[in-house]
Amino acid sequence: MSKENSKPKLKMAVYWGAACGGCCVSVLDVHEKLFDVTANADLVFWPIALDTKYADVEAMEDDYIDITLFNGAVRNSENEHMAKLLRQKTRILVAYGSCAHMGGIPGLGNFSSKEAILKQVYLESSSTINPGPVYPETRHEVKEGVLSLPEFYNDVRTLDQTVDVDYYMPGCPPQTERLLEVFMAIVNGSELPPKGSVIGALDKGQCDECERKKSDNKHIREFKRPFEIEDDGETCFLEQGIICMGPATRGGCGCRCIEGNAPCRGCYGPPDDVPDPGAKMMSAVATMIDSDDPDEIEEIVSQIADPAGTFYRFSLPGSILRRKINTDI
Amino acid sequence: MEFEPTIVSFLCNWCSYTGADLAGTSRLKYAHNIRIIRTMCSGRVDPTFVLESFKKGADGILICGCHPGDCHYHEGNYKCLRRYHLLKKYIKQMGIEPERLHLEWISASEGKQFAELVDRFTGSIRELGPSRIKEVVNTLS
Amino acid sequence: MEEVRIGVYVCWCGNNIAKMVDVQDVAMEVETLPNVVIARDYKYMCSDPGQDLIISDIKKHRLNRVVVSACSPRIHELTFRKALEHAGLNPYMFEMANIREHVSWVHNDREEATRKAKSLVAAAINRVCWHESLEKRSVEINPATLIIGGGISGITAALEIADAGKQVYLVEKSAQLGGFASKMCLTSPFMYSTTQMIRAKINKVMNNPNIQVLLNTQIEELSGYLGNFTTTVSEDGRDLELKFGNIIVTIGLKAFDPSVIENYKYGILPDVVTSLEFEGMLKAGKIETRDGRIPRHVAVIHCVGSRNATYHDYCSRLCCKNALKYANMVRAAIPGANIFEMYADMRAMGNGCEELYSVTSKKNVMFLMFDQHNGLPEIRKAGPKDNCDMIIELDEKLSGERIEVPADLVILMVAIEAHEEAKRLAQVTGVSMCGNQFFIERHPKLDPVATTTDGVYVAGSCQAPKDIPDSVAQARAAAARVLCTISKGNVEVEVTTAEVNEDRCCGCQTCISVCPYTAITFDEEKSVSVVNEVLCKGCGTCGSTCPTGAIRAQHFTDLQILSQIDGLLEKSMELKEV
Repeated sequence: MSKENSKPKLKMAVYWGAACGGCCVSVLDVHEKLFDVTANADLVFWPIALDTKYADVEAMEDDYIDITLFNGAVRNSENEHMAKLLRQKTRILVAYGSCAHMGGIPGLGNFSSKEAILKQVYLESSSTINPGPVYPETRHEVKEGVLSLPEFYNDVRTLDQTVDVDYYMPGCPPQTERLLEVFMAIVNGSELPPKGSVIGALDKGQCDECERKKSDNKHIREFKRPFEIEDDGETCFLEQGIICMGPATRGGCGCRCIEGNAPCRGCYGPPDDVPDPGAKMMSAVATMIDSDDPDEIEEIVSQIADPAGTFYRFSLPGSILRRKINTDI
Repeated sequence: MEFEPTIVSFLCNWCSYTGADLAGTSRLKYAHNIRIIRTMCSGRVDPTFVLESFKKGADGILICGCHPGDCHYHEGNYKCLRRYHLLKKYIKQMGIEPERLHLEWISASEGKQFAELVDRFTGSIRELGPSRIKEVVNTLS
Repeated sequence: MEEVRIGVYVCWCGNNIAKMVDVQDVAMEVETLPNVVIARDYKYMCSDPGQDLIISDIKKHRLNRVVVSACSPRIHELTFRKALEHAGLNPYMFEMANIREHVSWVHNDREEATRKAKSLVAAAINRVCWHESLEKRSVEINPATLIIGGGISGITAALEIADAGKQVYLVEKSAQLGGFASKMCLTSPFMYSTTQMIRAKINKVMNNPNIQVLLNTQIEELSGYLGNFTTTVSEDGRDLELKFGNIIVTIGLKAFDPSVIENYKYGILPDVVTSLEFEGMLKAGKIETRDGRIPRHVAVIHCVGSRNATYHDYCSRLCCKNALKYANMVRAAIPGANIFEMYADMRAMGNGCEELYSVTSKKNVMFLMFDQHNGLPEIRKAGPKDNCDMIIELDEKLSGERIEVPADLVILMVAIEAHEEAKRLAQVTGVSMCGNQFFIERHPKLDPVATTTDGVYVAGSCQAPKDIPDSVAQARAAAARVLCTISKGNVEVEVTTAEVNEDRCCGCQTCISVCPYTAITFDEEKSVSVVNEVLCKGCGTCGSTCPTGAIRAQHFTDLQILSQIDGLLEKSMELKEV
């Protein structure tokens, strides 16, 4: 156990919006270092781990919480309400993880619409029996009183499309080591980077850390999926025709996917000044196509079955177009 | 009132921009809807520029470069061509009519072809109707 | 960042812009945009008083950015950059909005044209906010010059430069110098002996110690840039490396092959010859049919492949006056012959040409006009009773009648085409071509010998059909331009190159094979890409390829272009409400 600290303890909160829970688990993954955390910070709100209520947060003074790790995207009115509430109560609000940062996997819901999603879930999926049919309602009166449910939005939003955000800590989930580094830096009173910065990640792309052999031999005649190649475990994925988001993605994760012989999928988001990592990566990958013939180029492009899903897997709501424009095209 | 589309166009300095200049010096008339941005090479046209233009209200985007084999920088136009095909596929997936993005080769001497192209493209966008991109992207629903 | 203070200048260009664009309204409205300190309109911004206006405003209002809204930047960007320099401002703190070529000259609706002009100016204002000072770089000029093509233009330019004491490499694809002009007998309209003229020049070239002539030689590849080009040619089986600072391309022309025009039966009827073949007869001193008879009827057909939508839209310029020359020479050689000139329009222009036309018309020469749109004359073999070898049938335009003309010899005035090597050499040298594969000069009026590639000049018929005096004039002009850079010793070059942010580059190496100039290499030690800014020509393709956003195409950065888009679409929306 760490020594008694004379400084007042930080007040910390962790909240999840539209998330899978992985980010909260990544916080738990500090393992025995949890003692360092609790020695320096009081966790004042963390629905997944502590018995705290929204009312407890509402009762806090403004800026009562020193740091909130908000993970998950904003998908419904409850997420939005909590984002706004926590913003009000928090000094440093961190968009924690890909979903809060760029929309993440739940953000792929932006390829569809509220109507289509509800229809699929409540009517059309093969495991559904809903003769009513009954749809979720935000307000329903019963004789005992009024029941309410959060409103499901048409769009998945990033945290900063909802409230002002101080820092972004990317990853699906963020690497626990990075979280500890950031946490200890705050505890030790280190100078914080300018507001709006990405923290807990590197300035450079994945390739800087990636140990695979890279060359300028990036000429693609056929796009392949990982199971279609005999990976030698050493050569750059792009040079083997596999789309790897590494160059358009910040390092800092320790190249976890690539170490596991899977290409980078982009969860750490783009380096600074890249407004749309998908657009940059599409540009780079298309340029690698080894043909000058329009028909052949089209044929090679057609091998990328799902460009939007591939290049914007974690970043659709945070990208320039944000969502599918006309759902009927 | 008839819908007047906003067209953003990226022209390479050496062929297409010069071709557009020639349309001017030849006093050829074409639709006023086009707004031209000059890049040194069509290979400079980053997909980000295209998406950002759509987001900011372009109803159609026209990219022009040198004819194949004539690129001032040897092969920048081929890079543009490859990106164009991928970008078309992407915008279609995003629920944008792919016809809103068009690539064509215009040489420095093709002022007439440029003027005709602008009229043709503007007409096709007018027929397609206003783009919903700006409205959708800027309205959280 | 320092406070951005922009001056905006909207040019009337006399009436060229002001007639279609309400320039005062444009200036008034853009003055309301953020960072704009002053906006003015003026009759001629490119004039000295116009430039002085900018210079004095820069000083008076402490401007640090300037936008000029006028003609194409391809015409006056450099002019205004210089003005900024005179005022002590970095020339790159400048942006131009093209409201003449792209607005006033191409639109009819004044209101829409004015609105468009505003959005283009707003875009330029937004862009210029993000412009950065770039330091000019100067390169030394290698005083040697490469001339590609040993025709009259190449020979003239070579002598001009060599006479000034500078080294010339004169490369000729064929086995001899002289080009097309040496295949002609006499010049037109003044009937000088071409052979005598050219031979004297060739002798001078061969004896000039400053000229190294390389015959049977082609330029396959070229590296380097203005001031420092290199190529390797083979001489007697050995590789020879040439280094030079400037290039003049004078590859000349090719004659149109008339066999594609069925009406003329060239290659089928033996006595249908091209103008070039007829020159051969004149040189040999014998005008005769293939079987050695003196022709009694000689027809000259104009515009063979020229001014015809199926072949070439352009006029080949030389044919009319040469055709007149032929009428005179046939008349002199065969006083009793019937001579027919079948023309579409008589276009013998230039010094002495109209006079030649009048003289010829008094020499019992029959001028028959045809209309290209209504079909070309048709040549057929004459029948046994016809008392001539061939019959030419045509719709004579002036009389409106379809007539038949006898002929024993038909001369086809074939069009001038771009050289078959033009396309390849355009790629090697980076010169642009027009749709007809003639090389394009940098500016059709103001810079007719330079090209879009610095250090590469053009002269002669490779740029457009030209006669000898025009070719010689252009060759001398190109030589003067080259000598000018040589005597200066060094030249400032564009600095809008690509730049790698080493703190950002992750070493994926995607950029390296994208560069057409091998200007990007990989620094293994630092694990980053490095741009050789001398080799980089600033196309910016690597900038849009870099997935990490580590490469900036200077002066065309993402931020600059995205701001321009924003100005074009959003800032201009705000303007409409004003």
